[in-house]
Amino acid sequence: MAANTGSSRVAIPSFSGKGKLWIGLLVALMAAGIAAWGYQLTTGLIATGMRNVFSWGLYIMMFVLFVGLSAGGLIISSAPKFFHSHRYEGFARLGVLVSLACIIVAGLLILPDIGRPGRIYQFFTSPDFRSPMVWDFGIVLLYGLLNLWYLWLLTRRDLAARGSALALGFKDTEAGRERDRTLMFWTAAVALPTAVALHSVTGWIFATQVGRGDWFSPLVAPVFIAKALVSGLGLLLVVSVLADRYTNFEVDREELTSLGKILGIFLAFHVVYLLAAERLPHAWADHFEFWAIMSNFLIGDSVYFWLWTVVGGAVPLAMLALPTLRKRVSVIFTASVLAVVGTMFEGIRLVFTGYEVANIDSAPGISLGGEYTGITTDIWATAGSYTPTLVEIAVTLGIIAFGAFIVTLGLKYVPIQRVDAEPSYATDGGKQDQ
Amino acid sequence: MTKHGLVIDQERCIGCQACAVSCKQENNVPMGQFWNRVLTEGGEKMDTPSGGYPEDGGSGSLDMQYQPTACQHCENAPCVKVCPVNATYTRDDGIVEIDYDKCIGCRYCMAACPYNARVFNWDEPEHMPEEGTGDVEARPQGVVEKCTFCSHRVDEGLDPACVVNCPADARIFGDLDDESSTVSKYIDKYETDQLLEDRGTDPNTYYISGEMSPGRPQTSDKMESELDDVSPWSDGDDDVPSKEADSAGGESSGSSHSVEGGEIPYATPAKSGGDD
Ligand code: SF4
Ligand code: SF4
Ligand code: SF4
Repeated sequence: MAANTGSSRVAIPSFSGKGKLWIGLLVALMAAGIAAWGYQLTTGLIATGMRNVFSWGLYIMMFVLFVGLSAGGLIISSAPKFFHSHRYEGFARLGVLVSLACIIVAGLLILPDIGRPGRIYQFFTSPDFRSPMVWDFGIVLLYGLLNLWYLWLLTRRDLAARGSALALGFKDTEAGRERDRTLMFWTAAVALPTAVALHSVTGWIFATQVGRGDWFSPLVAPVFIAKALVSGLGLLLVVSVLADRYTNFEVDREELTSLGKILGIFLAFHVVYLLAAERLPHAWADHFEFWAIMSNFLIGDSVYFWLWTVVGGAVPLAMLALPTLRKRVSVIFTASVLAVVGTMFEGIRLVFTGYEVANIDSAPGISLGGEYTGITTDIWATAGSYTPTLVEIAVTLGIIAFGAFIVTLGLKYVPIQRVDAEPSYATDGGKQDQ
Repeated sequence: MTKHGLVIDQERCIGCQACAVSCKQENNVPMGQFWNRVLTEGGEKMDTPSGGYPEDGGSGSLDMQYQPTACQHCENAPCVKVCPVNATYTRDDGIVEIDYDKCIGCRYCMAACPYNARVFNWDEPEHMPEEGTGDVEARPQGVVEKCTFCSHRVDEGLDPACVVNCPADARIFGDLDDESSTVSKYIDKYETDQLLEDRGTDPNTYYISGEMSPGRPQTSDKMESELDDVSPWSDGDDDVPSKEADSAGGESSGSSHSVEGGEIPYATPAKSGGDD
């Protein structure tokens, strides 16, 4: 029996010098983040680059990114389970761990954006169910708990076998294994629609708004799903390559290449197809001559657009499309990094398209409630502009460092892989053929 | 049912900014913020027309209009629908208002409002004079605020401050559900627009352009000077309705500013004798 005879492996048995340095770096970033947040709490959100016209900034942009990032791991580990397949088993636990860390980061990123975090309990005492934000709050919470439960479910027998306190008293028995197999199937069955709901509802926060330019589009929710697939899978590949390199975690090369191929397909669907579907009708309706339509369709407006579509879209897509290239780990790694970075700029662009232009922009404009740092000296603006401040950057980095810290701890304390056999046999929760 | 609405006659408006200033004063709006702004529809800058002069071969197409803009008190208000904690809500009389005790400061409503009518207290609000002005309690740091249609005045049967202070009588306040009200009659008779009508927010604020209306008649129950205890010339000590306003408008009695009972914006009692 695999569960009895085989052994599991934690990726980091103990921290080396380098590992300690890494932890030290994360702790330093977290401390800086907490200090910056403390400063922001005492001075108010005036410490950020946000003002009345541009009233959401880096925190929300990164929230959008991390909600998307949390998709990959859970889907890669639950989709095969749902279809009773053993594909990508080697990535299953790491995937859920990364998903969990990302959704925690996303949730935490909301806190510093709130003007009065002390009143957040109002979500429970006085919710308005018409608000997409209430739904998002609920689903982020649910998704986080689901990830936590799933990670524990995937690893609890190994935790028990290792005598870890994290098994929470769970015993590894024959009947228990049988039950876990069913539980895993059902968790996977719940996880998939929950992930779809998470990304759709997050998209609808924007897509329901009539007053903010391009936000009001039925395509936003499907685009959020597509970009969750792209960035989530991208991040999972990045983390697994890094873990393979620096810890005892081992990546199956063949599966890595196969996932790289899937990332290419996601990218093509997202950056090529969905973007075209979104842009073509506008370009067609706004222009008359064939070439005017074509150039408006193909040529984007802002630098974020280019960073997203070329650096985060075309380049990684080309890398993954060439069979000779995509066999190399370094190519997959770079393409994945670019995909994540590209998605980040897509989120940044989305927020900018909403706030850059005011619907009513007659002079003198809108009072800002404080000047835009370094841009204007008076209180009026007829358009939005935004540059994050150091405080915002420090808080954001601190929260992201916390996410990395969670992954690191997970690699240390959670048996992330089985070592006794091939992936198809090893980590399927005792469902091996006998 | 009552549905409060505002008609602004852009043909009458002279762009004097009196409504913007009286709003700021009456509602104790912090420095750096405006609930009500008088925008210039025309050139790039305030008070400049678009088009060219008729001289020197110019097109002679100079054109300019003023558009006073505050919360439009939308019927289908997106800000109300997005507020996760019911802090922004629609009153039974159609006024869209914020419960500052509930507001968590998420600013979703600012994203939702197509008119940029809402402002956020990014830092500790500053007032001039420090103890504040007008008749409304100051709002804390970290909440969103906006025009209330002067609900504290409306609750007393008074017109909003910006309405009574408009020297051009360009602002008319009243009940849109009452067919005989001046606002209803004007909307019926004159060419009116709602701002950004295509967004479907259905504002209760209408703008007259084209033909000029006769402007605002006295629409309150009484002339303000007839409300014996609210004489603008009183010294403030016997301003009875300010206490009623405190309870009716939900204002706490421990308001943070020392100006009590100054609902008449001409001269605040605390500064009686002053000429501001
Ligand atoms: S104008 Fe803006 S703030 Fe006022 S009710 Fe309409 S959406 Fe809400
Ligand atoms: S900022 Fe306040 S009023 Fe606006 S949506 Fe958030 S809680 Fe509601
Ligand atoms: S009704 Fe009152 S709050 Fe609204 S713009 Fe006029 S003075 Fe300001």
